[in-house]
Amino acid sequence: MLQIIRTEWLKVKSYRTFWVLLILAVASIPAANFIVAEITETVREQAQNKIPVNLYDFPLVWQTMSWINSFMTAVFGFPLLILVTNEFTYKTHRQNVIDGWERKEFVLAKLFWWLAFGVLALVITVVSGTILGLAYASHPFSFEDSRFLLYYFLQVEVSMGIALLISVLVRRAGLAIVLYLAYITLLDQLLVLVIKRNVGEIGGLLPMQAADELIPFPIIDKFIPDTNRYDDSVYLMMLLVYIALMIFLVFRKMLKTDY
Amino acid sequence: MPRGAVFGILGPNGSGKTTLLGIVTDVLKADEGAYRLFDEAPSAAQRRQIGTLLETPNFYHYLSAYRNLQVAASIKQRPEQDISRVLEIAGLTARQHSRFKTYSLGMKQRLAIASALLGDPDVLVLDEPTNGLDPAGIAEVRQLILELARSGKTIILASHLLDEVEKVCSHVAILQKGKLLLSGPVAEVLAREDYVELSCSNNEALEKLIARHPAFDHILHRSDHHLQVVFRQPPDLAELNAWCAGEGIWLNHLHIRKQSLEKAFLQITNN
Repeated sequence: MLQIIRTEWLKVKSYRTFWVLLILAVASIPAANFIVAEITETVREQAQNKIPVNLYDFPLVWQTMSWINSFMTAVFGFPLLILVTNEFTYKTHRQNVIDGWERKEFVLAKLFWWLAFGVLALVITVVSGTILGLAYASHPFSFEDSRFLLYYFLQVEVSMGIALLISVLVRRAGLAIVLYLAYITLLDQLLVLVIKRNVGEIGGLLPMQAADELIPFPIIDKFIPDTNRYDDSVYLMMLLVYIALMIFLVFRKMLKTDY
Repeated sequence: MPRGAVFGILGPNGSGKTTLLGIVTDVLKADEGAYRLFDEAPSAAQRRQIGTLLETPNFYHYLSAYRNLQVAASIKQRPEQDISRVLEIAGLTARQHSRFKTYSLGMKQRLAIASALLGDPDVLVLDEPTNGLDPAGIAEVRQLILELARSGKTIILASHLLDEVEKVCSHVAILQKGKLLLSGPVAEVLAREDYVELSCSNNEALEKLIARHPAFDHILHRSDHHLQVVFRQPPDLAELNAWCAGEGIWLNHLHIRKQSLEKAFLQITNN
């Protein structure tokens, strides 16, 4: 595995587009949350502290950040999309195998990025949350309710899993990006609405929605609890099922197809 | 394939040369059949022992030649120290830090050859290695292949260029529409008949006379101007001339020729 990671590192080390995309993805987490924190702080000041809670106070910060970040999972999907579709564009996936990788190793190389970006998103969120919390909080640091971080992590992995699967199936960068964005931003939500209205709560089990159900908007969920929804464990299990299914499909495609 | 051979795979466009090599390098899945590498069931570890250039050069466009070879060396698990040697052989040392996308077609092909040579493998698979090269480049690559062959390496060379195969290969297999037509030493597979072209003022009389020559085999072709005659052994032209004169026919044209490679190849692929 180390040899695979080293090879992947050689591929991206001096690839500027990749680094720009990754820096943008990383920066979007503290940037977006800083903006939201500043706005809510201003609103609270204008309301002369009639709003009793601060979204970035410990431990609420973890839920707030997970909720905000859940709108931006695609920022980590893009660098992954580029890395995978590049291989097909340049036919280097073919060359990697000719030069002596198992097809399985090629898939593992891409799964490395899939996992690494997810871990990176999680670490950046924890670090940014700690800093924002320390700046805005009136309570001491706490990891209470950090389960929301896990839900966010799984949502990023599902989102990037969709990106990986689309890249492997479509192979062309432009089309893959359009399809990925269309699904993440529109199609998933649209299907959720249609299914929830016509069939029922099962619509909440769709890939992106399953994690959204686990990360409700802070505070509101305490006042207006949704009684129809499944138990958290159901959504959690669905996320794991989606991840397993995507990995299975990516392996299946890449092991059987002609390169 | 015999160890140390330069084995040519010859066939017209679309005959299955690249498909065959694609199957052996695991980038294509065969519908049926099996193959062995180094007398063992094929695996990635064995592919790392083979330097392969398949069809087009495949490299990361945004990386320099050197960095591309670093990636290849990492996958092949060969030392990076070898990179400068193969760049030198390919004549790319001066441009090694330029990005791949700035390379000309010929330079890309040279880089692909350099990549195949990484780690000095004992077996090389070269698919149309002179594609896109200028005449000097073609000559250089052929010379390189001959030198590698002399050093004892086994080389598998796919080409649709007949003279390329005849010039550098010791063995050849001929493919057509995915079927193996012939395989063996080049001299046997691409054997070509010598024929004698001759004429006189009365070619009809000449035809009757030549049929009585002790070494006569058959008439290859007759035109208004001359006859093309195949003899069982290559005849001595002076002797043949004297023999005709002795029989009362004075030749005005006498020439020994070799059947063209294209014709020999077409004969094989048409039958």
